[in-house]
Amino acid sequence: MAAQWTPMRWPSAWKDPAAVNLLKGTAIDCLVLGAGDDLAEVRSRARDAGLHVVDAATPPAGISVIKGVWPGVKGGRAARTEAGPTGVPWVDSNGWTIQLARRQHPEVQVWVDAAPAADAVVTADSYLIAIADSAAYGGRWIVSLDAPLAAAMAAHKPEADKPWNRIKQAAAFFAAHQAWSEYAPFAVVGVVSDFTGANEFFSQEMLNLLARAGQHYRILPKKEPFSTEGLRALLYADAEPLTPALQKQILEFVEAGGMLITDQWPALSQGAVPAPVDTFSVYAMGKGKIAVSKDPPSDPYVWANDSVVLISHRYDLVRFWNGGATGSYYTLSPDRKQAVVHALFYSYRGPDQASVRVAGHYRTARAATVESPQLAGVQVKVEKDAVEIHLPRISQYVALELDV
Amino acid sequence: MQCHNQTRRDWLLKTSAAAGAWLAGPSLSRAAAPTSPVAVARCRTYDQAELLPVMQKMFDQLGGLGKLVKGKTVAIKINLTGSPTYRVGHLPLEDTHYTHPQVIAAAAHLMGKAGARRIRILESPWSTAGPVEEYILRANWEPRDILGAAPNVEFENTNYLGQGKKYARMTVPFGGYIFPAFDLNHSYQDCDVFVSIAKMKEHATAGITLSMKNCFGITPCTIYGTGAGIDEPSETPKGGRTTVHAGDRQPSKSAPAEKDPTTPRQDTYRVPRTVVDLNGARPVHLAIVEGIKTMTGGEGPWINEELLGVAPGVIFAGLNAVTTDAVGMSIMGFDPMADHGTPPFERCDSTLKLAEEAGLGTRDLKRIEVIGESITQVRFDFAALRKKRRASPPPPFGIRG
Repeated sequence: MAAQWTPMRWPSAWKDPAAVNLLKGTAIDCLVLGAGDDLAEVRSRARDAGLHVVDAATPPAGISVIKGVWPGVKGGRAARTEAGPTGVPWVDSNGWTIQLARRQHPEVQVWVDAAPAADAVVTADSYLIAIADSAAYGGRWIVSLDAPLAAAMAAHKPEADKPWNRIKQAAAFFAAHQAWSEYAPFAVVGVVSDFTGANEFFSQEMLNLLARAGQHYRILPKKEPFSTEGLRALLYADAEPLTPALQKQILEFVEAGGMLITDQWPALSQGAVPAPVDTFSVYAMGKGKIAVSKDPPSDPYVWANDSVVLISHRYDLVRFWNGGATGSYYTLSPDRKQAVVHALFYSYRGPDQASVRVAGHYRTARAATVESPQLAGVQVKVEKDAVEIHLPRISQYVALELDV
Repeated sequence: MQCHNQTRRDWLLKTSAAAGAWLAGPSLSRAAAPTSPVAVARCRTYDQAELLPVMQKMFDQLGGLGKLVKGKTVAIKINLTGSPTYRVGHLPLEDTHYTHPQVIAAAAHLMGKAGARRIRILESPWSTAGPVEEYILRANWEPRDILGAAPNVEFENTNYLGQGKKYARMTVPFGGYIFPAFDLNHSYQDCDVFVSIAKMKEHATAGITLSMKNCFGITPCTIYGTGAGIDEPSETPKGGRTTVHAGDRQPSKSAPAEKDPTTPRQDTYRVPRTVVDLNGARPVHLAIVEGIKTMTGGEGPWINEELLGVAPGVIFAGLNAVTTDAVGMSIMGFDPMADHGTPPFERCDSTLKLAEEAGLGTRDLKRIEVIGESITQVRFDFAALRKKRRASPPPPFGIRG
């Protein structure tokens, strides 16, 4: 279920209940509070102001609060970035956790609880990333002010204006585009798993790392019937062998032209074809292929990156140039007339001259940022099977609206 | 055309004799360094209707492709420097710093037509052991445009062991400035003809990058890169070639070490010399440099200069990489006889001078036959743009990839 409210955690530094007035006229419509009597007046004022009031420890039915990460390029106060194995800056994002929670519990709204990291450099734009990183995927970040900002706001200091305005702007943008949360995601690969128990780490890390590799995936809980429509590949790395029913469904998918990426498939000795990566053997089957890992799955980073090559970058849904550390979520409206690509730039500042290629057949494209609902200076190049959008200098989030 | 009172046949006979002479010793005089003609052509677009006849004519002017490639395995080193996620502004990579796929396809097509048995497109893509096809898809290219240009065209990633069983040890015949020999991907040995197809650009470290500097990328990063193994090559390449640039460490011990680890550790000293060593170890039989569209300000989008996409509309080729690059420098408005301290070698040594002194070829335009368009007809003045650009402070550096 798409998030309906925009929650904010009441900062402990705010002692004066009159601070509730700071939320007047903003899209923040829900206060997350502790249960203590000391906050009774805050609770009362908030209700009088028309805000929903939620107990932090016991969120109401219909809301699932997940423990998240402070999103962005991982780094310390000296802005030292941590690099992954290939030197690409490491990005923390809540996108995959929100998608998993929404898939497993479609009836609930997903909120992300992730206070600014203690060692994080928190700027106005950090809040934009935090809000956009959840809202793009249909969740909501519980607005959680870092202590210096909360104190500055309580003291009405001018240095609080910029970050607070950024928070208000971003919250308003996503509240105004709530319908986007109901759009269905496009995907190239389906990750089949129960996502629990012994399979929890590997399968969930696959979701995280596929996103880092720029791959768009669909979460397919194996105990439920699922659709493979539109997918080019399925990935199965659970410890348990496939059930006969699941094996039958996957076999049909492969024989119709899809690819299965796995470490287990019975009796494959013929039909070997050249593999584009050393870690997998690839076999032709029907119109499709099965890629079997030479070793048991141990490193989800290798699996995620190799799977992208096994499937091929030919089928990339979104490509970035000059984007830095990027993420994207590509969705289609229920009436299938409009697509929206949420593009996230996790670096400390947005890109100067990014280009984004979106696969699909579109007539026109527009770009919206939280600062500008109709971004000027955008160039759109419609190609045969894609549209390429050239962006001017922007902040860390842009929504690309594409007309089918 | 700087050759008078002699037939083209006379010229070629003289040049081929000189080409053999460099094997005799490491320090031939300038007058003795071999020469070879360079064909220069105007070409305004990458449209195959214009490009194919232009390239065909250039190859004919050099004596015909058939003589070079018929029945042979041809290895073509292209230039895909940097990550495919970097662009100069919004411009496609092939219009600024990557060898254009249409030039690669046209070369492969003409070689196929001339009877090449097998055409292998080689590059060491940035920090990956993945297929070159996958790499260029990320640049928005279609690999089939190149693979389908002729029969038996294939790619190989040479940044690691690749499809070979072991690395090929290739010795520098004149002894080498920095390295006496290199361990390279097998593709550079398992070929009859070696072709360098480069982009005409300036270069932050080496001043210019043309057909010789393009060969810097034949070194596998598993041995010469940031993440190279200490004793043995690493399995996959990681990062760039800091080992060669900065000399902060030696290649994997399985490969030949530097001749003298006490030599300067500056990249402006090391890179030009290593380029010459590589060109000695793996001589270029056909050098093609395209400047139909390119960039000014450096070799790629990561350079902190004012970077501009430009369209010089020129392509040139020769059978000797040094003479070809000498003509290229002149087309760019630079003096190929320039030494350290003079543009474009303000900070670095001249690769051309070092190559000439090693006996690889002459850089003296008076000794190089230019066929087709004259240099002045196609000149695109990088030198003037460089002077103007350097009179202003560099632009603020944003996030480029």
